[in-house]
Amino acid sequence: MTSLPERSTEAWRRALSRFVHMLPHTRELGIEVLAVDADGVRMRLPWCDDLLGDASRGLVHGGVLTMLLDSVCGSAVLRGLPAPEVCPTLDLRVDHFRPAVAGLALHAEARVIRVTPSVVFTEGVLWQEAGRPVARGIGNFVRLESRSTPPGFAEALFAHERVEEARHA
Amino acid sequence: MPEGFDSAAWLARTRAEGDVAAWLERIPYARRIGVSVEADSEGGGLCFRLEPHAGNVGNALLPALHGGVVAAFMETAATLDLMLAAREARLPRIVDLSIDYLRTARAVPTFARCELLREGRRLANVQVTAWQERESVPVATARLHFMLGVPGGGEA
Repeated sequence: MTSLPERSTEAWRRALSRFVHMLPHTRELGIEVLAVDADGVRMRLPWCDDLLGDASRGLVHGGVLTMLLDSVCGSAVLRGLPAPEVCPTLDLRVDHFRPAVAGLALHAEARVIRVTPSVVFTEGVLWQEAGRPVARGIGNFVRLESRSTPPGFAEALFAHERVEEARHA
Repeated sequence: MPEGFDSAAWLARTRAEGDVAAWLERIPYARRIGVSVEADSEGGGLCFRLEPHAGNVGNALLPALHGGVVAAFMETAATLDLMLAAREARLPRIVDLSIDYLRTARAVPTFARCELLREGRRLANVQVTAWQERESVPVATARLHFMLGVPGGGEA
């Protein structure tokens, strides 16, 4: 597998936006990729009432937090590899620090801690208000080499980036 | 009578009737992903079902369900199973969850069954198994810790 040319942070942000829009669930919830750099990925899940786990008490469903952590950690994996590969989640651990409440967007940040030939180790955090984390996640992802990555996957993520590449060349 | 998880009377009544469907109706995210419940055909416990909605897909190429949606389904199952299985009416609040993905979850109906491994005074531990074609071939297992809240009050 060959490494891709170094991409700008904005090219990466657009590529991972394309990635979350390839996944029907995250596309329909309108997850936005805010920033991508060498330290990780930052996303935002806009508020909608479907995120509630308990409408009468105005609490977000804990599963929404797990879903968002899986999404943000999985996106960080793409950034952390020499070239993007499709890596399924092996396992995920989520700690709930405080309830997430109705009406506020959820912010997510994740980074890759370590890459081995077979596994990518990640961690992520969620918050609604700065400095008050609602949950932490630890996700491990499996590298299946070329078996699960369709040909042209990386190219599809970076389609439309050719003009910029040419400019940087 | 007020209805909803903040009403101790409503919670006690629905619990006495085993009306888990009434609980599911008040969980918007569970409704969105398509969770339902049926009495276990083999007796004892509940069997939960996740619909393979197009919106639950996380990998459109395979296609496979979003791992986070499978986790949300299993957390819903664990919470409601615990509310019914607990010694008294309790409102569980999740503390942590650990999920292992054993196989690709295809875009077909997914089922889950729970086991309450420990119910303490304040904390509970629930084990969940999810499968698709056959229960003996699980697609994921999870374990969750919950704080046991007193309806209308704080934690036990």
